[in-house]
Parts: sequence; structure tokens; C-alpha cells
Amino acid sequence: MASKVTVTVTVNGRTLSAECEPRRTLADFLRQTLGFTGVHLGCEHGVCGACTIVFNGATARSCCMLAVQADGAEITTVHGLADGETLHPMQEAFWDNHGLQCGFCTPGMLLRACELVEEFPDPTEEQIREGISGNICRCTGYQFIVDAIRDGAQRMRQTS
Amino acid sequence: MAEQRTASGPIGARIRRTEDPRLLAGQARYLDDIRLPGMLEGAVLRSPYPHARILRIDVSRARELPGVFDVITGAEVRELAAPQPVIWQQIPDQRMPESYALPTDRVRYVGEAVVAVAAVDRYVAEDALELIDIEYEPLPVAATLDEALAEDAPRLYDQWPDNKMGQHTFTRGNVDEAFTQADVVLRETLYYGRQMGLPLETRGCIASWDTYTNQLDLWLSTQGAHVNRDLMGEALRKPVHEIRVRVPDVGGGFGNKLDFYIEEVLASLMSRRTGRPVKIIEDRVESFVANAHSREQRMEVELAATSDGVITGIRGTVWAVLGGRLSGAACGPPWLSAAVMAGPYKVPNVDVSVVGVFTNRSPIGSYRGWGQPEATLVYERLVELLARKLGLDRNEVRRKNFPAPEEFPFPSTVFTYDSGRYAECLDLCLSGVEKNGWKERQAAARAEGRSVGIGYGFHVECTAFGPSRVLNAVGVQHSGFGQSVVRIDSTGRVTVYTGEVPMGQGIQTALAQVCAQSLGVPIEDVTVIAGDTDSCPYMGYGTGGSRAAALGGGAIIRAAEKLKKQIRDIGAHLLETAPEDLVIENGRVAVSGAPARSVSMAEIGNAAYRSVGKLPAGQTPTLEEREVMDPEDLAWAYGCTAVLVEVDRETGAVKVLDHLIAHDCGTVINPMIVEGQIHGGVAQSIGGALLEELVYGEDGQIQTTTFMDYLVPTATDMPPMQALHMETPAVHIPGGIKGVGEAGTIAVPAAIANAVDDALDDLDVTVTAIPITPPRLLAKIRAAQEQQS
Repeated sequence: MASKVTVTVTVNGRTLSAECEPRRTLADFLRQTLGFTGVHLGCEHGVCGACTIVFNGATARSCCMLAVQADGAEITTVHGLADGETLHPMQEAFWDNHGLQCGFCTPGMLLRACELVEEFPDPTEEQIREGISGNICRCTGYQFIVDAIRDGAQRMRQTS
Repeated sequence: MAEQRTASGPIGARIRRTEDPRLLAGQARYLDDIRLPGMLEGAVLRSPYPHARILRIDVSRARELPGVFDVITGAEVRELAAPQPVIWQQIPDQRMPESYALPTDRVRYVGEAVVAVAAVDRYVAEDALELIDIEYEPLPVAATLDEALAEDAPRLYDQWPDNKMGQHTFTRGNVDEAFTQADVVLRETLYYGRQMGLPLETRGCIASWDTYTNQLDLWLSTQGAHVNRDLMGEALRKPVHEIRVRVPDVGGGFGNKLDFYIEEVLASLMSRRTGRPVKIIEDRVESFVANAHSREQRMEVELAATSDGVITGIRGTVWAVLGGRLSGAACGPPWLSAAVMAGPYKVPNVDVSVVGVFTNRSPIGSYRGWGQPEATLVYERLVELLARKLGLDRNEVRRKNFPAPEEFPFPSTVFTYDSGRYAECLDLCLSGVEKNGWKERQAAARAEGRSVGIGYGFHVECTAFGPSRVLNAVGVQHSGFGQSVVRIDSTGRVTVYTGEVPMGQGIQTALAQVCAQSLGVPIEDVTVIAGDTDSCPYMGYGTGGSRAAALGGGAIIRAAEKLKKQIRDIGAHLLETAPEDLVIENGRVAVSGAPARSVSMAEIGNAAYRSVGKLPAGQTPTLEEREVMDPEDLAWAYGCTAVLVEVDRETGAVKVLDHLIAHDCGTVINPMIVEGQIHGGVAQSIGGALLEELVYGEDGQIQTTTFMDYLVPTATDMPPMQALHMETPAVHIPGGIKGVGEAGTIAVPAAIANAVDDALDDLDVTVTAIPITPPRLLAKIRAAQEQQS
């Protein structure tokens, strides 16, 4: 077993340090070591997008990174979206539009949706579908997710 | 023409789900989010061979690795556990190979578990797997159906003369006569590829065995809490009062989490041996070999008809490509394919067999649709091919063979359909197609030289599965009833305890709606508790077969009726009036016509639990009713799917441009949830029709074990979807509720196959294999073009 290293990350605005083996994935570090269980593991080979986080300002797959690569990084997980007990406008839109069923893809889908809206404040259906095509949902068939993101974008425009 | 009901109460209301805020906020608790003190993590070593004798297993180096607590082999499992139970025994005299959680002498498919390890964490457990030495002697492989059926086939089980697991034949009328006298006879061999449910959360379990009290606490990502407790009791030879199963949030089920598996047995045994909780959660690669596969079957069928399109007979054989051992569902789904082969049509003469065949592939088990998409591919292909052959309108041929509404209950080959308005449903679908301008779109596209086609698929769906006596009659070695408890507490709030298991389908919200409406309370006052064998009432089977709303909801409706009588009695006593003068609305019990004279449910609850002196004489304290829902028969939903597709003749690629379904699931509890269920089912079946296939090489090695090889639909693969609702009440379920969980899944592959034929009508192509992958279709197109030139 390799000797442990200390990794320091800022997650949802809070700076945290912990020891881990160099081989530990960032997803396992966030989930198990730091307790951010909203980061989900659907495939562990970078395809499904359930483990999506915002890493230094852009979405990334935490299953395909090592924790040691994240030393010093700024990370946002799904837990960072809501403001206390108030859901983020995109979360509200997903709720109102039935944009989730089992909820397993939802954290990654939400973070990607928010990033997409930063890029396209008023996204077309095609931009949305293309934009979330790296996130697999096995429950919804995507239609209500697409509706939710369009609605969420509108809410975000109104609140910004 | 779509029936738009205006909901006067919670039933029928398009309300957002109570489940969602915590899921949205990242606060859900899925199985892998649970960490118990001292918990170990397991890993499973799986066979790299499709068929081999195990000559020697040496785990000594693994045991010595620091951090490893336990390594368990098949020989040790045999000392501690019984064979894995198989509840589906519907084929008379079916061969039942005895199999334990781990084998001792032989492996029969790639991915079969051979040794399990428990260690301080998954990383160390996987290190330990690399230190296990197993000597195998590879055996000849029966990798395909034909290889398994060959005269000189390698046999998977030495005690039997061939690889057949069993055969069952369904007959009706005189099929030979029907074919002799038929004006036309069609023959087709259709192949449905191997696919699986693939929930995004992989399957997992945690077992915590207290060896001092003998209490086994299990957390399972499962669709059936009670049934899996009972099966665990059988597998561990343990009385079930010593077993508690809890189901945390489940990240999708789709049937893959319905069947009983081996990993929960292994985790339990290792927990018993180490005195520590043990978690085993499969990774994605494992999920592709360790979860139930489904669908794969070859269907050789013939249809007899008159020259004006009346179907007079169907006969054929469903060859079920089973795996190397039996799952708990055994040959169940292919059996259902054969049983419902007549679909929604009046077919007087039937002779359809199912033959299960063992092969060196992963076991076959449950997946949403459960044999019905395969059957629908047969009957909906045949009906369109019949129309094509006779030069008749395909939907007129459908209409001609439907039972009329007054012919219900309609006795089909095996099952009796309770209620239906099939022709109206077809009309609703056709009017939707017309309204959406598909024919104009098709004509415009064709004018541009594009190959665009329209296809239909009419399906029947077995729902409210199931009535115990029906299940037993068809050979299921388990009950199927539902059960709910409705409790009003001392503050007048309501808690429903159900045996049904949530897996993302929104059942907590739907049952809360049913309860709120039935009791006359605001939906905010209702909480639904599920997924715990210690607090929730027993339920047979598991939550599959589109049952939760019907059986869970039906039980609530009946329990609420009984509770309302008690509420009225207490209210009458408090208000000094007669019970029959009272109405219960919006959480208040009021004198009819004099709403000012009322008491709140909170006052009723207080009297029932705390101020018991306020109860009428003879009224027992507390307010709680329990109701078992074991209906006389099933509920049969149905629907008509239409798809608009485009075929690229250069590549063989198929794109679904639009989708529409007219369907009838009886009473619609929440249209938004119903549409969500349909959309998700459609996505899985568009994947199934065009993308998804578990591919095995000639050597018996599976070649699709990542999301890069097994393609599931992404947002760009999906067309817009539309659902039009009809509501014909279920006959045997209170509230008229039928199920909808599989509605979207069943007919889409048949409809797409029909649409592809339509798009290529000038070539006279007949799609015969699902999924319609580009190479498969291109071969058909090229062959047709060559024949024409």
C-alpha cells in the first residue's frame, strides 16, 4: 500500500483537507472521505455523467480523476446549488417539469444544465439535447429534462 | 378526442412529486451512500471462461493480504447455505439445476461469480482478487442457440441428455384445421436480441449479521423487500423473523433489481463470518454480466387468415436463449411471450410453444416488458405483413380482429382481459397521427428523396401483477398480493405503509394522491413509508409487472373506506350528530350542508389517541386499517404506438423522428407521472429497437461490458414523445386503476420495424431482427436492391 498524501480542496466554498492513497479517485474522495454523496457513480468509465462536478469552473467527470489531481482545486457539487433551504431555479424547474425519476443522474444533469445555460442563456431544444448528450438518464427519456432546462434557463434569466 | 378529465380531487391531478426535493438537493440516500461502523467492502472474482471445470482454487495469498477479512469459496458456501431459490416454475417438469451462490466444480458463463472477498475497502478487496489462483480446464462452449441445440452440442449439465430446460405448449381450438383451410399463411422467423434493464445505479447490498442475536439486517437495492427477505431466509435456512430488509433510495430498477441474486447471500455469509457489516456493490462492468439479461429469443411463427384479413390461427415456437444457470425468474419472460402471442386479437386457433435452452451466456431474468415486447414484435409484425400481402389497410386488419368492448371480459389464449376499447384506442392514435401531420411530413420527405416511414404497434400489457391464485395457477411459487396500512396519528396526519417498493417511479406521490382523495384530506398531510420489512406490511412478489399503483392503491382505497367509517363515528360523537350526516373534505369532518359544524382531523386524531374520553362508547382507541389487495384477476392495459422514422439507405441507420402513443391504463392518478413512465419506457425500447445488444463472440466471450459498447439512448437519440390518455376502469381493482410501468416499452420495437418496412416499401424489405442495427439493415437493403436489379 502506497503512503498516503494530503489533499486539500475547496468544495462548495468550504476548504477541506484529508489524507488518501494516491490511487483514490476524486469521486471516491468526495463521496467517502468528505461525505459529498450527491456525487454518484454510474459507470466509473467516464461515459454516464452521474459523477459530474464543477472543477475549477468547468464540469468534469470525478470518476476519471484522482483525488491528488484535485489538490488546490475549487469544486462545486450538487450540494452547492441550493441556497440553504431554497432550491436553485434549475432545481425548481426540474421539480416542476418532472425532470427526474430515480434521481441518480440528476446531480450531474443539474450541474451540466447550469453550465449549459451560462453558455446559452436562452438555449434551443437542439442546444439542450446536444449539451446534455454526455449525461445518461435511464428513466425519463429526456423530454421532461429538456423542458426543465428550457424552463430553468428562463428562471435563471429572470433572477440574474 | 383525447379524454381530458378535469381532476376534482388529488386523483387525476398533475402535481409535482413529493419525492423530488431531496433527490434534487443531493440528499438522497442510495445504497452506496450508506456506511455502517466497521463496514467492510466486498469484491467478487468472476469466471473469465464461458464454460470450464474448476480444478483448483487457492485463496491463501489473498487471505494473507493486510486488510482482507474474509475470502469465501463455493465449498464454504455449500456448508452454510441452501441452493438459490427459483420462484418461476411455470413450465411443467422444467429442469432445475441446483445452483448455489458460488459454484464448486464448474462455471457456465463469463462473469459467473467464483470467489468473494471482504476487506477494509473496495480497493484492497480488488487487490485481493488478483492474488487468488484458480486452475480451470476449459470445456467446449455452447455460445449460441444453434450450438446449444446441435446434436453433438457440449452439454451444460451432464445429468440431462440435451441443453433443453423445458417446453410448454399453449393450445386452443384446432390449429391444424385452421391452417389447412386458411386462404393465406404467413411464415416468419423473428429474432429479438439480448438486452438488459441497466439502471444507472448498479445493484448492491449491505449485510450486517449479529451473531449473538442471529439478527440479519440487510439493505438491498431491490424492487422487492418482503419477497427477498423470504428468499434470503430460504437461501440461508434462516427464519425470516431474524431478517430485516430495508430498501434505501433505488436508482432505477427496470426488472434488473426484481430477481433474487447471489451477492446478497455472499455478503450475508461474510458478515456472519467476520462479525462486520459487508457491502457488495457491483461496478458497471460487473453489471453487464451479473445482472439479469433479457429478451433474447428466436420466434418461428406462422399465421393463418382469410382473404379479407381475419386471423384464424397462429402457431409457432419461442426458442428462449437462457443462460448457464437459472435466475429466480427462470424461463418466465419467454414463457409470457408465448402465452400472450395472440396479443389484442381474437385468434380462435393457437398452438404456440416455448422451449428454454441453456447456453453459455449470462442468465435470463426480468426486464421491463417481461416477454411482451418480444410477443408484440411477432403479432404486430404479422398483422402488418398480412395487410401487405392482402393489399389491405394495416389498421383495418387490426380493427377487424379486435374483440369489441362488449366482448370483455375477453378470454385470450391463457389470460382473460378485463376491459378494453381497442378500436377507440386505435382511432385515438390515428387521429393523433393525422393531427400531427405525419402523412404530409412523410410525403414531403419522400418528395426530397428521403426514406421516411410510419409504423404502428398495438399492445396489451399485463398489469396489477398479481393475484396470488393466478400466479400460482401459472406456476409461480410465490404469492403476489399487495398490502397497505393507513394510519391516522394523534395530530390527524396520515401515514401510509405499503409493501410496494419505490425505485424512482413516483409511487410515493401516486399513493399519497390516492390516499388523500380516498380519505378527504390534503395531500400535504399524507406521508408514504415503503421499503422496510419491519414497518411495512407484507407483499407478495416484488414491485414489477406494473402493479404498485393498482395493488398498493387499491389496498389504500379499501383501507380508507373502513377508516372513514371510524372517523364519522368519532366525528358524530364530537358533533352530536349522526355519522351518515357527515362529510369528510379537505381534512375536516363537517355536517353535510352545515360546514360551520365541523371538527378537524387533528381533533379526531387527538380523540383517538390522547383524549380517549372523547371517543364514543365502544370505540377502540387508535385509527388504523390494514388491507390486503389480492384481486380475483389481473388488469390488462393496452395502447397503440405510432412512430415516424427515417432510414438512411447508404448506412442503414434509422432515426426516430416522432412518437405518439394512445393508451389506456384505467384511472390516471397523476398524468405527469404516467407520461414520465411512458417516456422512459419509450426511451428504453427505442434503445432496444435500434441500439442496445449484448453481443457474444463465437468464443462465448461477452463483447459489450461498457457504455461505449452497449449503447443506451442519449438526449440526441430521442424524438419528441406524446401520450394520449384513455380511461377504461380496471374491473377487479378498486378505483379502476391499471398499471402503466411497462406501457411505453412494449410496442415500440414492433412499431419501428413496421415503420422501417414502410420507409423501404419500394424495396419490399422485411425487418426480422431486433435491434435494427445499421449493419443488419444495410444487409437487407443491399440484398433487396440486388434482387431488384
